[in-house]
Amino acid sequence: MTKKAKVADKTQSTTLRTPGSAGDLLRLPAVTLPVAFPVETLVPEVRLQTPAVGQRATRPDGRLHGLGQTRYIDDLAFPGMLHAKIKRAGIAAARIRSIDTREAEAMPGVLAVLTGREIPVNSFGPSLQDQPVLADERVFHAGDGVAAVAALTEQIAAEAIEKIKVEYEPLPAVFDPLEALREDAPRVHAPDSNIYASKVIRKGDVDAAFARADHTFEGQYRTQMVEHVPLEPHAAIAMWDANGRVTIHTTLGRITLGRADVARTLKLPLNRVRLVATIVGGNFGGKNEITQEPVLALLSKKTGRPVKGVFTRGEEFASSTTRHPFIMDYKTGVSKDGRIVARKVRLVLDGGAYCSWSETTLGKACILSAGPYRIDNLHVEAYAVYTNKTMTGAMRGFGAPQVCFAYESQMDEIAAALGMDPLEIRLLNAFEEGSASPTGQALHSVVLKDTLRKAAERFGWKEPRS
Amino acid sequence: MTELTIRINGETRTASVPDETTLLALLRDQFQLTGSKLGCDAGDCGACTVIVDGKCVNACLMLAAQADGRDVLTIEGLATQERLHPLQKAFEDHASLQCGFCGPGVILSAKALLDEHPDPTAREIRDALAGNLCRCTGYTKMIEAVQEAARMLRGKPVGEAGGAQTRTTGQAGST
Repeated sequence: MTKKAKVADKTQSTTLRTPGSAGDLLRLPAVTLPVAFPVETLVPEVRLQTPAVGQRATRPDGRLHGLGQTRYIDDLAFPGMLHAKIKRAGIAAARIRSIDTREAEAMPGVLAVLTGREIPVNSFGPSLQDQPVLADERVFHAGDGVAAVAALTEQIAAEAIEKIKVEYEPLPAVFDPLEALREDAPRVHAPDSNIYASKVIRKGDVDAAFARADHTFEGQYRTQMVEHVPLEPHAAIAMWDANGRVTIHTTLGRITLGRADVARTLKLPLNRVRLVATIVGGNFGGKNEITQEPVLALLSKKTGRPVKGVFTRGEEFASSTTRHPFIMDYKTGVSKDGRIVARKVRLVLDGGAYCSWSETTLGKACILSAGPYRIDNLHVEAYAVYTNKTMTGAMRGFGAPQVCFAYESQMDEIAAALGMDPLEIRLLNAFEEGSASPTGQALHSVVLKDTLRKAAERFGWKEPRS
Repeated sequence: MTELTIRINGETRTASVPDETTLLALLRDQFQLTGSKLGCDAGDCGACTVIVDGKCVNACLMLAAQADGRDVLTIEGLATQERLHPLQKAFEDHASLQCGFCGPGVILSAKALLDEHPDPTAREIRDALAGNLCRCTGYTKMIEAVQEAARMLRGKPVGEAGGAQTRTTGQAGST
């Protein structure tokens, strides 16, 4: 008993309630100044190690941000550093006949030029390795990189890529995913089909349930391509040491995966690759896979100097991943009191020129496409389809926001048709404790209805509109 | 090449740069003042905002040559060794920044506003920050922080952090 009390006392004397001197304003805020928070902070017995629970904390990086002292990748410089630029294809689908880099190489200030055929393994991707580091034989979208240059200044590099002459043989291109599904559509990658990933969820018997339904509602919903637009563009700096190890400072988020990709594409053992990530100026899913890292590494190897590459804002739109546009066909059968008895969904994902994170997006979208509603009879079919546009990849939600737009829009339409309150129809159908998800998982800690009711109360849902 | 003399954060500096050098490139590459950021290089995002002769400008749209003989204030010139500028303090207290990339530009736009209008309405703050894009925060806490900084600069007692009078959400179109 006495032992327990002793431990408690020790912790009490080291809580954050006794902050250090507040006079030195430029010190990082290791402890908070007393502000309005409950004086009696809960110190649960099991959590005696973490007195921070219940305290008010400031973001530790807020001060340096405000001072302009945070070092993002583009703020770093190394002695002898060169600047790289990547030439973008500017054509949606083509075979590359030839790349002539001689004029660029001859420019004063240009120290190295790189093309796709010099990449040891010219393919990468989080699930399907269908994306080239630099396009070598074929171009699949207008933002594809076809060559790269390292020069003394960004200006010289930008001028040099203009001087690289690429001869293209244009190929038929497809831009709409529904068109890409057709038999006669131009094939983007594989000759048999433009569908590169698909998923089906079957639960219960939709056809029988639709036959029983009192009303059936059908609709098609579409969402658009969205670019993350992080304020900080993609940036990286690559350099080698005398032991043949490459260090890449990068805005990349998933550096373990990135390290594996760099090792793979450059045919290096993993222990020769070091990726350093730091504070990033916004990611939102767009910085989840490598973009220019292997290119910069090879340019650095060729020149023997650190090489930095920073995407232009234009490249952010054309050459970095975006959010999948979705085309969603929903058919929902309801009973006359508004209960959903069956739902059939077809999702077509505009999969862009490369797979990137499409498989994850597809999977997530499928499972979430039914909405947070109890549906016993469900059929979901989803396809990711290649098009000759900027690759679509991870963006906050991974498919969840798109399907949410569809099922919630249709819910409102059903409520309107049946003359029901949009909130009531949702409360009627919402998940409850123990409800089964579309894939049969029993859900727990379900507070959906309570949340809806509380929110409605706070919004004044029942109050007459003024 | 352009020879220029410029007063940056109170210090007179000289430089000799290629003619096409922007003020942003001058600050970042020549003087290693990397607080001003390159977001778009086209004057759209405001991450490069600095104050030149009292007016906030997009440094990416100004040639270094145009800044010859002028007074430039960057984010690095706001705080002193002894204290943060009230805007920086308020932004920290209100957790107004997340990734922080837009921060220097926003703070300087706010400073330019407060220099002219020491008691701005929420609407006036929104207008002043209209040229500064932020993808992380949703701007609400920035507006609250600017209001608090304005109070601090006017010598008024500061309200509780996140006090009731600074609510700015849900007021689309209103002051």
